[in-house]
Amino acid sequence: MNLQNPGVLLALLPLAGFIVLLYLLKIRRKDLTVPATFLWPSRTDEVRANTLFQRLRFSWLLVLQLVALIALAFALARPLTRQAGLSGRVTVFVLDASAGMGATDVAPTRFDEGLRLVRDAVRAASTGDRMALIEAGPVPRVVFPLSTDPARQVAALESCRRYDAAADVGEALRLAAAVVANQESAQIVLLSDGAFDPPQNFAPGKAAVVYRSLGQTAENLAIVALGSSVTTEGRLAYCGVRNFGAAPAGTTLTIYADGRVLDSAKLLAKPGETTGRTVPVPAGVKAIEARLNPPDALVADDYAVTVTDPNAALRVLLVTQGDPFLERALSLDPRVTLDRAQAVPDSEQGATGPASTYDIVVFDGIAEEPVRSRGVLTLGVAGGPSPVRANGTVKNPIAVSAENHPILDGVDLRNVFIDSAQKVTPKATARTLSESSQTSLLVVDEGKQRRAYLAFRVLDSDFPLQVGFPIFVANVLDFLAGKAAADVLAVPAGSTFNLPADAADRPSLVVPSGRSLALKVEDGQARVRDLDRVGRYELRLGKTTKTLFASLRNERESNIAPVPSLSLGGGTVKAVATPVRYADFWRPLLLLGLLVLGAEWWLFARRS
Amino acid sequence: MRGERLSRKKGVSIEFADYREYAEGDDLRHFDWNVYARLENAVVRTYQDEEDLAVHLLLDRSASMSFGDPSKAQAARRFAAAFGHVALGAGDALFLVSLGTREAPAPPIRGRATYPKLVRRLSSDPPEGREGLARSLRAFAAGDARPGLAILLSDGLDPDIEAGVRALASRGHEVLFLQILSAVDLEPDLEGDLRLLDSETDGTVEITANSYALRGYQANLRAHQARIAEAVRRCGGRIATVRSEASVEDFLRTTGRREAWVVR
Repeated sequence: MNLQNPGVLLALLPLAGFIVLLYLLKIRRKDLTVPATFLWPSRTDEVRANTLFQRLRFSWLLVLQLVALIALAFALARPLTRQAGLSGRVTVFVLDASAGMGATDVAPTRFDEGLRLVRDAVRAASTGDRMALIEAGPVPRVVFPLSTDPARQVAALESCRRYDAAADVGEALRLAAAVVANQESAQIVLLSDGAFDPPQNFAPGKAAVVYRSLGQTAENLAIVALGSSVTTEGRLAYCGVRNFGAAPAGTTLTIYADGRVLDSAKLLAKPGETTGRTVPVPAGVKAIEARLNPPDALVADDYAVTVTDPNAALRVLLVTQGDPFLERALSLDPRVTLDRAQAVPDSEQGATGPASTYDIVVFDGIAEEPVRSRGVLTLGVAGGPSPVRANGTVKNPIAVSAENHPILDGVDLRNVFIDSAQKVTPKATARTLSESSQTSLLVVDEGKQRRAYLAFRVLDSDFPLQVGFPIFVANVLDFLAGKAAADVLAVPAGSTFNLPADAADRPSLVVPSGRSLALKVEDGQARVRDLDRVGRYELRLGKTTKTLFASLRNERESNIAPVPSLSLGGGTVKAVATPVRYADFWRPLLLLGLLVLGAEWWLFARRS
Repeated sequence: MRGERLSRKKGVSIEFADYREYAEGDDLRHFDWNVYARLENAVVRTYQDEEDLAVHLLLDRSASMSFGDPSKAQAARRFAAAFGHVALGAGDALFLVSLGTREAPAPPIRGRATYPKLVRRLSSDPPEGREGLARSLRAFAAGDARPGLAILLSDGLDPDIEAGVRALASRGHEVLFLQILSAVDLEPDLEGDLRLLDSETDGTVEITANSYALRGYQANLRAHQARIAEAVRRCGGRIATVRSEASVEDFLRTTGRREAWVVR
C-alpha cells in the first residue's frame, strides 16, 4: 500500500495522545451512601472526565475512538492499494486490431483474447469505475466512451472487428490520452502484440500506461513479395516467402493465374531466410495469386496477389514539404501505393536510365525535375520539363474557362478561391484546360511522358475543401497513367477509397464470404470500405463489375514475435502478464471511520 | 406459644423438670415459696410439658436499616412489637436482641403485662450499628442463649448472611427470617457517575449508574435473596420478604399466610 499524502499520519500520534490524555482525566464522581455496596457491580463506564488524573483503564470507547482516528487519518493519507487486474477507476483500453492480432498462437486469436480481457475487466469493474474502449484499426474507433454501464459496454464489444491490415495504434493512443485528459487515477491499457510503428506526439499526461502483451510465438511464414515483369522470356512471376520464426519451417507455395493453379512447390526456409519461386505466366493473365498451405499462425499473410495490368496498381512518389490534403486524396485511390519524399531520390533523377520505380511523380510546391515515370503532376512551381514557362506570380486569379477534358469531369475550378498562382505561358506542345484572365491555371502535355501542371499549390487555395478535389486527383491519376481505369484492382486490405459512381448503378461490394454489401453514393462517389480481410472482392457498379484483390504485405505485421517493451510517451513501457494497478482506498477507510464513530456514539449514549 | 404456633418440637410431658430463677412476669402459681422461705431464692418450678418457649426477637439495628421511607428500622420495630405481643400473650420468654450493635443482651420478659416494657425497649433511636449482621448473628449463636424461636427482622444486606443463618440453626434455633426491604433496595433511583459509600463498612464502589449497572444490581439482589432463602430453608426455617411500608395487617393477611407464618 502506498500513501499519496503520508504527512497526515504525522498528526496521528498527537491526536491519539490527546484522546488517551482525555481518558487519563478522572471523573469527579458524586458520593452517595447506600445500604450496601456489595450488590453493585463495579462498573465504571467513564464517558466523560473533568479532573486530573487517574490510571488509564481499558475502555471500549477509547478503543473505538482510536480505531476511528486511525481509519480517518489513513483515509486522509489517501492510500493506494495494489490490485491485480486491468481495470481502474478510469480506464481506457486500446485494443490493437491489426493483422498480427489475428495470430492463432493464443486461442482463438490474439484479438479475441484481448476482447476477452476487456470483457472480464468490464464485468469485474467496481461500481463507479469508468471505462472506454478504442479499437485500434487502420482508422481508430471509439467502441464505447468513458461510462459506467457494464451491460452496454459488453454489448458494444460485439461491434469490434479486426483488420488484415496495419493499425494506426499511435493515433489510437493519442485518442486515449485525450479521453483521459485531466482525469485522476486514470490509466491507458494497451492490448497488443507490440507490432506497430512507435507513436509520435503521444503524451499520456497524468494517466499511467499499461501494456498487456498478447502472443506467445514468432513462428510464422509469410509471402513478402509477389510481382510480375515482362522479360525476354515473357512474363515471369516471382513470389518470396520469409520465415519470421526462430526455427526452420516448411510450407507449400501454390501460385494461381486468374484462379487456376500455375505452380505448386514445397519450400523450406531457415529462420529469417527468404526463399521463393519464379514461374512463367501465360499471356493474358490478369491476376496472379499466391497461397501458403497449410495455414500457419497468421493466415492473413499466407495470401498475396498481384495484377498484371499496369493501371491496376500505381506507385506514386509525392515530392513535397508536406500537404496532408494531397496525401489524403492520393491515398483514397485504391490503385495508389504512395511514397513521400522531400526531394527526388538519386535513382529516379534523369530523363534517361533504367525504368522508374514509380508510375507517377507528384511535385508539390517543388520545381519539377526530369524523371522517368510514366506521368508527372506539378503543383505551383514549374520546372524545366514542365509544359509551361513561369514568368512571375499573380494574386487571386479566377478561373474563367474550362476545356472539355476527362481531368475536369466533375470538377469546377471557377468556384475555387486561389490566393496566389504562378503566372505561366504554355509551351507549344501543351494544352491549356483552364485559365484565368491573367494566366493559365491547368495545363497538360499528352506526349510520351504525360504531364499535368496546376499553377497553384492546393494549400494556397480552398480547393482541398471542395467536393471536386478528390475527383480531380483521381482524374489526374487516370490521365497520367495513360490508360482507362482497370477492371482488376489490387488494394491493401483494410483500405478505404472512393470510386466515381452513380446512385442509379446501385453499387455493391461482394466480400469473400459471398455476402453483398450496398455502397452509399455521395457527391458522385461510392465509398468502398469493409475490405477487412485479404481475398477477392467484387465491386458491382450497374452492369460493370470490378474485381478487387485485397492483400496484406507488411513485414511488421508478419513478424508476430510479441514485443516485450514499447517506447511510449517518452518512456519505456514493459509488457506485463497480469497488470497491477494502484486503486484509491480512502473511501472504504472513511466509511469504516464513520461507522466506528457511529458505534462509539451509540455506545456512549447507552452508557451515559 | 405451645398450641398456637407450628413448632419443630414434639411431645409433651407433665413431669417435674427443674427449678429456674424467677423472672419478671412468671406465673406465681409455679413460684416455690418453700425454697424462697428457706433459702430466699426466688425460683419457679418448671415441668417438662410446661417449659416456656424462648422467643428471640433479633432486631437488626445496623445502619443499612435506616434507609427507606418509612425506614426499614421503623418497619422492623413495628413487626417486632407485633411478634412480641403474640409471644408475651402466649407466655413465652421473649428475648429482644439488637444486631449490628454492641448493646448488651437484655433479660427476657414474659407475660402480657410486660408488653409496654417491650415497646420501650424497641428504641426509636436511629440505627447506626456497623458491626455487621452476619458477625452479630454468629456472636449471638455463640452465646448462651437458650435455643428457641429466632425471629430475625433484618434487610439481610450482608454478603455473609447465610453463614449467620446457619450459625443460628446450628445452635438449635428455629429460624423465622422476615426480610424487610425498602424502595431504595428494590428500585434504586440512581443516575450519573457515582461513588457509592457503604453505610456500614468503609467500602466504596465507583459506578456509572446506567442501565447496565442497574440491571447488574437487580441481578445481584435477586441472587443474594435466593441464597438467603436457600440457607433458611436448608435450616428448616421460614423466610418472607416485605417492603418497609407494608403494615402488619397486610403481612398477616397475605405474605404471612402464604409463607405459613400464620395458622388459622
